[in-house]
Amino acid sequence: MSDYRSIRVEKGPGGFGGPLTITPTQQRNKVMYITGGGAEPECLAKIVELTGLTPVNGFKTNCPEEELALVIIDCGGTLRCGIYPKKRIPTINVMPVGKSGPMAQFIKEDIYVSAVTSEQVSPAEGPAPQAAQAEAKSEPKQGAKFTADQKVSETLAKQENKSLVTKLGLAAGKVVNTFYQAARDAIQTCITTLLPFMAFVSMLIGVINGSGFGNAFASILTPLAGNIFGLVALGVICSIPGLSALLGPGAVIAQIIGTLVGAEIGKGNIAPQLALPALFAINCQGACDFIPVGLGLAEAETETIEVGVVSVMYSRFATGWLRVLLAYAASFGLYA
Amino acid sequence: MDFIVNLAAGFMNLFTLGGQQFMSWVTGIIPTIVMLLVLMNAIMALAGEKTVARLAKVCTGNPVLRYAVLPFVSAFMLGNPMALSIGKFMPEFYKPCYYASATYHCHTNNGLFPHINASELFIWLGIANGITALGLDTTPLAVRYLLVGLVANFISGWATEFTTRMVEKQQGVTLSCDFKAAK
Repeated sequence: MSDYRSIRVEKGPGGFGGPLTITPTQQRNKVMYITGGGAEPECLAKIVELTGLTPVNGFKTNCPEEELALVIIDCGGTLRCGIYPKKRIPTINVMPVGKSGPMAQFIKEDIYVSAVTSEQVSPAEGPAPQAAQAEAKSEPKQGAKFTADQKVSETLAKQENKSLVTKLGLAAGKVVNTFYQAARDAIQTCITTLLPFMAFVSMLIGVINGSGFGNAFASILTPLAGNIFGLVALGVICSIPGLSALLGPGAVIAQIIGTLVGAEIGKGNIAPQLALPALFAINCQGACDFIPVGLGLAEAETETIEVGVVSVMYSRFATGWLRVLLAYAASFGLYA
Repeated sequence: MDFIVNLAAGFMNLFTLGGQQFMSWVTGIIPTIVMLLVLMNAIMALAGEKTVARLAKVCTGNPVLRYAVLPFVSAFMLGNPMALSIGKFMPEFYKPCYYASATYHCHTNNGLFPHINASELFIWLGIANGITALGLDTTPLAVRYLLVGLVANFISGWATEFTTRMVEKQQGVTLSCDFKAAK
């Protein structure tokens, strides 16, 4: 049995969260990395050396959640960065991403740290509170919130001999609360993902258009996105196995290309009819970076993930061009 | 001196242009999306997972139901990424195939139903903005995106059965295809 040591991980420049203290135990003795299509993140070697954890490549295989002391990801801010914090597994993101994505509410300082390189990793001094404790600490808090939320209606529902008025009240209350929560989630989504992306892309567009770069971009993009052959080529390139996983994170690249193509359509350089095949072409790599996590959500077994990662990349490559052609065939008569 | 002034003015102009772009998106896009998100989030909360789980049990046996109907409904009711969790009702062999289809469904339906994948909306919106700039309605594009997606995603899901079989041979493993064994 190797002995394990604790480390302290701080946030890097522009990062969020932490500092985390990660203490491996006999049971929690693995670090899984799901980064760059299976490439080892830069900080991994140091973490393994300092802690004695066993590294596991999440793209190749999977390991039971209860054995994970730590997960390293490179999420651009959509999905993965929230999934492991939601499961209360300490998470290191090598990208400088804060509370973002549909699971932003789970990304908290006590479980998540971002923009991490080997510089931010150091041995922890003395016995520090471990990950397991952090788990214990926060869970009652969540539980308590839940009961605090439910208690009034629950007690009403249980204790009283329910009159019609109470029943009506409870039902109405539930509907109103659901909608209110839905509204809160909607605003949250806007603030955590939509607005930041709009701001970032607007700034890019401003610089591109104002500086004259726009014309240079147009001369590259128009031959590529302006006819069906270029679009098929774009789809094939995007879906090359391996490359597809690198293009995936956060769908950021696809979203930027989409915006640039859209700008060219708006200027009249690309026919509006081609918008439909373009939508398919820029997204042939869709979710290739996310396969291990997505299959994990489907409770897939380790060997299914090993097969699935390769299989889905192959099938993306095999069907990508077909999707673009299909969309092209269906685009006749659109905006004619 | 004039040179410096021009340089500074040009520099600021870049950000004025960006700001105008940002403002037009915030006022033109956000309000509608927020209203849609509120309703859809509420539907998802009220009817969500149980309904889809019930449907999933019926849908696993048939390729059309498995790669076209079920992922479509899951994406609509659960959104990204929870739609992917419905793969748990499949036998192991079909999980990657369902994944291949369901992830695409989280994009192709996004034109009409932005709640499905709000954080990756700009794949659709980026291109749709060009259509709007021409003064055209984006709805026909959204409808075709959804319909073509339905067919294309089915093909992508189904094709993954073949690639999965191929990779099984490469790696020398066999995944369970048994529908009864799966919960």
